[in-house]
This record gives sequence, structure tokens and C-alpha cells, in this order.
Amino acid sequence: MAKQYDVLFRLLLIGDSGVGKTCLLCRFTDNEFHSSHISTIGVDFKMKTIEVDGIKVRIQIWDTAGQERYQTITKQYYRRAQGIFLVYDISSERSYQHIMKWVSDVDEYAPEGVQKILIGNKADEEQKRQVGREQGQQLAKEYGMDFYETSACTNLNIKESFMRLTELVLQAHRKELDGLRTRASNELALAELEEDEGKPEGPANSSKTCWC
Amino acid sequence: MDQSVAIQETLADGEYCIIAVQGMLCEGDSRQSRLLGLVRYRLEHGGQEHALFLYTHRRMAITGDDVSLDRIVPVSRDFTLEEVSPDGELYILGSDVTVQLDTAELSLMFQLPFGSHTRMFLQEVARACPGFDPVTPDPEFRWLSRYRCTQLQSQLPTPHGWNSAPGTWPGCARIGGGRYPSRNGLWGLEEARSGAGSVLFGGGAVDQTGLRLAEVARGGGPLWGRSGRRGRRDEEVEEAGREMSAAAGSRERDSAGNSHFDDLRPNGKGLLVDQSSWGQDKPEDLLPRQNKSKSEITDMVRSSTITVSDKAHILSMQKFGLRDTLVKSELVQKEEDYTYIQNFRFFVGTYNVNGQSPKECLRPWLRHSVEAPDVYCVGFQELDLSKEAFFFQDTPKEEEWFKAVSDCLHPGAKYAKIKLIRLVGIMLLLYVKEEHAAYISEVEAESVGTGIMGRMNKGGVAIRFRFHNTSICVVNSHLAAHTEECERRNQDYKDICSRMQFCQVDPGLPPLTISKHDVILWLGDLNYRIEELDVEKVKKLIEEKAFQTLYAYDQLKTQVAAKAVFEGFTEGELTFQPTYKYDTGSDDWDTSEKCRAPAWCDRILWKGKNITQLSYQSHMALKTSDHKPVSSVFDIGVKVRNEELYRKTLEEIVRSLDKMENANIPSVSLSKREFCFQNVKYMQLQVESFTIHNGQVPCRFEFINKPDEQSYCKQWLNANPSRGFLLPDSTIEIELELFVNKSTATKLNSNEDKIEDILVLHLDRGKDYFLSVSGNYLPSCFGSPIHTLCYMKEPILDLPLETVRELTLRPLWTEDDGSQLENPMEIPKELWMMVDYLYRNAVQQEDLFQQPGLRSEFEHVRDCLDTGMIDTLSASNHSVAEALLLFLESLPEPVICYSAYHNCLECSGNYTASKQVISTLPTFHKNVFNYLMAFLQELLKNSAKNHLDENILASIFGSLLLRNPAGHQKLEMVEKKKAQEFIHQFLCNSP
Repeated sequence: MAKQYDVLFRLLLIGDSGVGKTCLLCRFTDNEFHSSHISTIGVDFKMKTIEVDGIKVRIQIWDTAGQERYQTITKQYYRRAQGIFLVYDISSERSYQHIMKWVSDVDEYAPEGVQKILIGNKADEEQKRQVGREQGQQLAKEYGMDFYETSACTNLNIKESFMRLTELVLQAHRKELDGLRTRASNELALAELEEDEGKPEGPANSSKTCWC
Repeated sequence: MDQSVAIQETLADGEYCIIAVQGMLCEGDSRQSRLLGLVRYRLEHGGQEHALFLYTHRRMAITGDDVSLDRIVPVSRDFTLEEVSPDGELYILGSDVTVQLDTAELSLMFQLPFGSHTRMFLQEVARACPGFDPVTPDPEFRWLSRYRCTQLQSQLPTPHGWNSAPGTWPGCARIGGGRYPSRNGLWGLEEARSGAGSVLFGGGAVDQTGLRLAEVARGGGPLWGRSGRRGRRDEEVEEAGREMSAAAGSRERDSAGNSHFDDLRPNGKGLLVDQSSWGQDKPEDLLPRQNKSKSEITDMVRSSTITVSDKAHILSMQKFGLRDTLVKSELVQKEEDYTYIQNFRFFVGTYNVNGQSPKECLRPWLRHSVEAPDVYCVGFQELDLSKEAFFFQDTPKEEEWFKAVSDCLHPGAKYAKIKLIRLVGIMLLLYVKEEHAAYISEVEAESVGTGIMGRMNKGGVAIRFRFHNTSICVVNSHLAAHTEECERRNQDYKDICSRMQFCQVDPGLPPLTISKHDVILWLGDLNYRIEELDVEKVKKLIEEKAFQTLYAYDQLKTQVAAKAVFEGFTEGELTFQPTYKYDTGSDDWDTSEKCRAPAWCDRILWKGKNITQLSYQSHMALKTSDHKPVSSVFDIGVKVRNEELYRKTLEEIVRSLDKMENANIPSVSLSKREFCFQNVKYMQLQVESFTIHNGQVPCRFEFINKPDEQSYCKQWLNANPSRGFLLPDSTIEIELELFVNKSTATKLNSNEDKIEDILVLHLDRGKDYFLSVSGNYLPSCFGSPIHTLCYMKEPILDLPLETVRELTLRPLWTEDDGSQLENPMEIPKELWMMVDYLYRNAVQQEDLFQQPGLRSEFEHVRDCLDTGMIDTLSASNHSVAEALLLFLESLPEPVICYSAYHNCLECSGNYTASKQVISTLPTFHKNVFNYLMAFLQELLKNSAKNHLDENILASIFGSLLLRNPAGHQKLEMVEKKKAQEFIHQFLCNSP
């Protein structure tokens, strides 16, 4: 039985106050949604374990205060992140405009090679929409980011966007992770599956790398 | 950047720095950067020795000048450098590697940057270790002798300020101004001092003590906070007295002053000393290396050249052991949710071959069923009876019989050999259908020899494995022979059961025994005989095929019935004649002289659920041995995983663990997060309190520094307590104390600083909370510069804030500009008001300036001055006198400007020269000086009543009018004397 590995990543949610960062986090980790808005004043985090490509990944997701007066402090948390969600609210043109500022903060404070993804949240509020889908796509393209319109309320694209950012981070650390996989198959070799006539293959690998 | 180059520059001939790495030396809470260089020295007569050179360094070392040798650790036989995992924390990709260096003399802990370079460094060090080969002589390290004296020298303190965080603590972190060095010094400054001097190894011990002191205070937590607070209430009044007696303090400071403060409350600020090195989970580490060499670390990661397995090793160091164990045990508990039973056909065979080689085809034995079995378990005994097999554990028979079996497996399927194990003549083979191989895991094989000398060819071998989700153990044993050895056989069985142990995948788990399996198949030559019947009777019963009758005399049957052996095992009905002992090559009973009675020696038993025996028989057609082979076919119900259900179960488990984990992140609720301090006045304490209510997880809290700040809050603020520990569901009250003193007032007047701050309350391993502080400060003449006050014709509180701001920022020398139209006053009106009041009421006051005033009266005096309502001023003479002293002390630029300080001291004793210096002061300062001197002389005229003399006044005013530009350092006696002397001259001579 192959050894089990864990990799820990830090992902960070940033964006204007009220765009729904905390809601995205709650939906993803606890599958809960609360429509009332309580400002996050500080920095909060939750853990989530997912499996990507046979690797068990634990992600620590940091939810930051969006209010402007706290930004000098919250910026200091960027440094420890491997992936960052830049979140705006599709019903707030202003929050969309501010993405530029958030991006430049990320460039300044986050480590080199940090993975970013653009999120247009509150996609369920179609009638209040101020930011077109294309605008989001356009901006994401400009910055070379992936883009998702999400809704924490209707659970639209939540898992997808979190998984995507995790994948991007994994890819960015591929070198280290290749080491993991090789190691895992080394372990397999120890299972002493000597072939008689035909070599057993395929399913052996997948069944050995699952978690048990 | 290869820093070994810099090290190489410092080395002698013959010494070579193989590799260097920059790391943090961790001692207690302190982190200091060190450069570690592995140095090799080639000995003259061949061979080489190594030592680890530790350097302090400035910046990233580029040349030899950047490094300074701290110590040398010879790589001796007792030298070890090992990776350790820092208290079970999660592994974080790219996190530092913690290593422990141990020798007979010392033990050091380092954090090295993540990456290939560190890995290489550790490899090189490992290679340099001398090992324990007794042939090579012990390293002597003679070449290091030249460093011994150098090391001693380098113990002298040298400025290594760049990484001595404690040393960067300014003495200004205090409330109440710099008037009481003793008050903060006790908690802050002295520690800071000891910390700063401790960069070199000589000072290590001091450093430790310093930190421990802080540790004790910190450990006090809430308890300490509470008593502190209680103390504070009592002190409130007393403190007023203390502030008021400030001036008196300068007189009494050496005697009464100190005792006065014996019951000091631990001023939170003083504890800041070790803050930068406390806790590692802060959003911003102020560790110097992290700031400095971030790019360097990334480079290392990118230029990684180490082998894959090394890297995997780095990544695997930290596992979530506990979590994995939890997941596993949950999965076992919920097994029924995601598995179903599926039957698989097992062939089990046993054959005592009596040392023969295979001479005939084994098909009749192995291939008698129509359907191809899914699993073959084939056991042999007495494979080889030769001495060679016994002594050398090697026999050609193994291969011969393995081939014979492999050739005769059922043709209806392809088989994969899973495992072969042999102990002398006892061999067990395990094959599965090719398509099942993927579902076989955790295969382990072990053997146990039993008996004493001469009978050591007895014992058992076993193969255990997991087939789908069912664990299976197959045992092949050859137990003791001879009819009378029944007890011995039972004992062999017990020995095999107790001594057969299989390793587990997880080395942390205890080894598995045979009984810990879902299914146990036990085969072999168990050697149990037929008792109490003579040979002829046995043979007769066999002829009659009265196996039931005969079975009653079978030792195994009776022993099992007596629960002496094979407890819990089942055996099928014996419908075949005994398999022992025949004349080789025939079906005839033994005709040798021993003429053994026939017996069912060769048996197959099982234990477990869902097992159905389909057949149990012997195979008379095989005549190679004196035994006949036995076979049994089973349908065994194996737990097979439904992958979809499994995944679902697993996800549920992981989700619930995540949930549990998230619920265990420390979390508190705060009664208040916004604090507004309104109309803050000079030297008037305002307190806002709030409570922290803890959730269900015990946690440590602390206010932490914001980036690039020395302290967790502005200088005029203090949180009490600023750190502590909270039990589940407990509550603590925190007081935010705001106090503006002379060192913070001026910037608040000028609006360079505002009553605005954000505090970060950090929970260890948990969240951060932001607390906002806001408010407004009422400008005061206290803390305002002399010239500013001269331009203020209105009371300061009547002026627009903007005007106060502009005037406060006005440079000292602007008054020379003749174009000023404002027509300033000659001296500040506030000074005049106080002096005038004293002149009118207090020239004959006994002990003037020597008795402390009242705090409440000081506040009244301050308000009168700042609002201009001087007519309403009614306070004791002592309070006004104290206010005057406080006013002089709060001046950002003393009456005798800092620039003139040294000149004054130099010409003290020379009155003419002294007057000359005074004449160079800015006009307003000169005016104030002369005005004060005139007033003091006036007082001296009444010395008969007020008991003042020149010496008393000179000592009081000397240190107020003349202040050392270097700040709050304790003045040296000589300096103090000179300052007094300087004032003394002006008191004795008329202007």
C-alpha cells in the first residue's frame, strides 16, 4: 500500500468589502450560505481537504477584511499565499473597477509565482447586474487569469473555482509533486507483484493510491 | 549566490569551504541568522577532517568582510546533524527545514531554507561524518588550534546590531514620559540591553536570561493581567501623585523615588522586548532573514537539481499521521457501507514430498476441478531432507517444485505468482488469477521454526495479504512427528501462532498476528496420528471405509475437541483414507520394519466467515512420496469495494474531519471592536475596556505588531494585558489605556500623529481580529514649542486646529525673519501666567518646588492655561509650581536648545562665557531663560521664608533647562553637576 501524502496550500480571498468572500468560503467548506452580511474585521481561515489527481491536498483558505482601512494590514498576509482569489460583485461596478488595485497589491506583496483567479460573485443576482460576463472575461484575459462567475447563494461554480485554483497551484509546484508521485510508485514496487506470464497493470496504480 | 566564497576568503591554506548555507539559529524564542560553512582540511599524510564553521554575518555575505566567526563545531565521531520535525506541525510546502546539531558538548537547532541547496548541504555534512570504522584514526582537529584564540577574541562585543531585534527597542516605549527610567528599565530597557549585547556566543547566557524574564511575565497571562489591573485602580490616585511629583522625583529619585515605585504594575510596553521573536504564525514575520533572502530561497527552489527521491523525501517528512489513522479507522468502521460479499474460489493443497523431486505430473492434484480457481495456496513439506538444505537454506528443489506447480495450474486461467516462502523443507506458494492481482495488497510472508536441535526442520511459513477488502492468512506448517508427540504438536501450533508476526505498512502500528485476519487457511503435515488402535485394526477399518469410526481415534479430532489446539478452526469431513504412510511409488501401506500405522497427517483447516468447503480429498494417483497430497476447494466470500460508495464514504469522513478541524480553530468573540477616545487631554488617562470571550478551544492571544512597526500599537496607547491564555468558554477583560505625554503630545498638536490606530489581536493557530481606535486630541500648551506659543496670542483651544498645526510645525529659527507681521509675544503667555501666579502668591511658600502637587489641580491648571481662563485659576502653590516644571519638561526643544547643550557644559564655571552662550539662543528661548532666572532670583530673596537656596534651585532647574540631546539616557553625575553649576552661576550673579 502506497504511503499517503499531504500537501498544504494557502489560498487567500481578497476583494472589496461585501463582495461575498466569506460566503464563498462558507459555501465551499461547510456548504452553508447566510445572506446577511457581517463584515469580516480581521483575518479568518478554514481548512478543506480535497483530492486532486491522486494527491491529497489540504487547503487553508484565508478570508480577509475587505474594508479599505484595513488594507495596509491585510496586504501582509499575501506573502504566505500560494493562490489568490480576486473577488468582485457582478452587481457592483465599483468592486469590479477596484480589481485593478487589488491586482497591483498582489503584484507588490504576494510571492512570485502566486496563482490568481478572478471571481465574479453573486451571479444569481441577474437583475442587479452591473458588470457583464464579457467584462469579467476581458479583465481576466488581460491579467492572464482564469475567470469564474460564481454564486455562493445557488452554489454555482464554487467547487469548480476552488478546485481550479488548487490545480493551478499544484501545477506551479509540479516539480516537487512529481517527486511525490515517483515516490508513491516506488512504494508500489515493494508490493512484490511479480508477474507470472502477463504483467498486471493499470488498475493496480489507481487502487493503491486511494486513501485508506 | 554561493556564500561559501565569502567564507573561503577567511580560511587558511589547506582549508576549503565545501558548501555554505544561511540559516536561523534557534535558541529558545530567539532567532539569529548564521552562515553555516562546511570546511574540509586535508591532512598532510592523507585523509581529511571536517568542521562546521558558524558565522554571524551582515547582509548576504559576499566577501570575507561580511562574515565574523562565531564558533567552530568539529565534525567528530559524536557529531550528528539531523532533521527534526518542529512540534508536529503540518508540513507546508516550501517551509523551512529544521535541523538539530548535536555533539558531546552542545546541541543547537537551526532552521534552514527549504530547497535543494539545503538538501545538498545536509548530504555533504553526512558525507563528512567520520563514521565508526575502527581502522581510521579518530580525527584530532589539530588544524583548528589556530582558531582557538581568535574565537576568544571575537567574544568581545562588536556591533552586530543588524540582527539583534531586541536592541532596536527604543527607550521611548513608555507612558508617562522619560522621567522614570527605573519604571520601564525594570521591564524593558535592561532586557533590551542584555539582548543587544548577546549576538556573540559569549553573551548567549545573558540573552537567555533576558528572554526568560519576559517569558515569566508572559506566562502569567490573565492572572497577571488581573492583578495588574487591580493594582492599577489603587494606583490611580497614587499615579497622579507620581506624575505630579515628577519634579520632586528628580530630587528624590535616588532614594524615595524608587521605593515609591516598588509596587510597579508591569507596564505592558516593557514586555514588548521579545515580541518580535514570539510566535511564528503571525502574518508578518519580522525575522531579518526572511525579509532579506526571500529571493534567494526562491532561486534555490528553482535551480533545484537534486534527485527526485530526495525531493520526495523532503515532501514526505511531514505527514498527517493522526489524520490518516482517523480516516483509516473510520473507514474500517463503515466498511459495510461500501463493500459487498463476492465469492472467490480458493484451491488449498498440501503435500509432504519426502525429499523427492517432482517425477510425475501434479495435474491430478492441482487440476481436478472443472472451474479454474481464483486463488491457489499450495504447501509442501520435506521438500529437501539433505543436510545442505538445512545448513545452507538453499535447495534446487524449490525451483523444481515451483515449476512443477506452475506448469500444472488450471489451464482455464492465467495465474500470477504473488509470493513464495520457504523454511528448509516447508514451502508455501500463492498464486492468483491475473485479473485479481490488482486487488491483492499488503502481502507479507514470515516463517517460524519450532523445536530444538535435531528437529529444526519443523515449523511453519505463512503468507498474509489483503484481497479486495478482506485480510487473508495462509499457514503451512509441519508439526512434530511420532504418535507420542501429540503435546509437542500442540505446542508447535501455539509457537507458530504466537511467534508469527507480520510487519504493517504503517511502522507505527503493532505487527499483525495470524489471528488478526478475516480468513485463515491452515494446511500442512500436522502429523496427528490415530491412537489406541493397532495397525491391523486401522487397516481393516480403512478397508471397510469406516472413516467415521476411525476418525474417533484421530488425535487432531480429540485435541480440538479438548480445545488444546486449533481453537475456532473447522475441518471438513474426512472422506478419504489416511494419507500416510505408503511405500513410495505405490498405494501400499508402509512395509518397512517400522511399519507405521496409517494416519491422517496431511490436513486442511479454516477459520472465518463466509467460507464454504466444496471438496476435501486426497489424491491417490500421485505416488512419488510416502504421503499422498491433499486438496480442498473453497468458496470464500470476500468483501469487495463498491468504488462509488467507497468514494462517497471517504468523502463523508474527510468532510466530517474537516468540520471537526475547523471547529477546533481557536475563535473568540469580542464585546467591542471600535474604540473612540474623545477630547483626549494632555496627561489625562482614558481607559476603554472590552472583553474577549473564548469559544470552545483553549487559546493563546496576543496583540501583534503591524508590519514595520516596533510595537503593536501607537506609543500613546497600551493594552492591558496585551497577551494571555484563555480556557474554553472563559472571559478576560482587556483595558485599552490612552495616555498622551510629552513625547507624543507635540506630534498630536501638529497633526503629524492622530488618535487613530488599528490593533491586531492574534490567536495562536487561529484568526486575527482587527480593533480600531479613533478619537481626537485637544491641543495643549504642554508639549508645544516655546516659539509656537509666542505666536499664539489666543488660548490654544480657541485657535482653529489648522492654525495650531501650522504654528507647531514652524521651524525654530523663523522668528529672525523680520517680515513677520504677527508681532509675537516675548515669552509664552502660559509661562507668564504660571510665573505671575507664583510671584503673586508663592514667593514665601515653604518648600516650593519640593512638595508634589495634586493631579486634579494640575488638570485644572492645564485647562485654565489652554482656555485662557486664568482668572479662574485656583490651585495650591505646589500644584502650580509642579505645573511649571511639567511645562518646562514637556517642551520639545528645551529652554537651552539642544544645540547649545554641550557649549553650556563646557563653559560652566565661566560666567562670561556662559552668558555668551545664552546670547546665541533664539530670541524666545533667551527671553524665557532670562525671565526664569529673574523669577528664581526673586524667590531667593525670600529664602528666609521659603527655605530655597541656589543649590536647590540649580539642581531642580538644571536638568529641566539643560537636556542632553541624546535623549533620555540617564545623565552621568558629572554632566548633571555641570548643568547645575551652569544654572547656579546665573542665580548668584545679577544679569
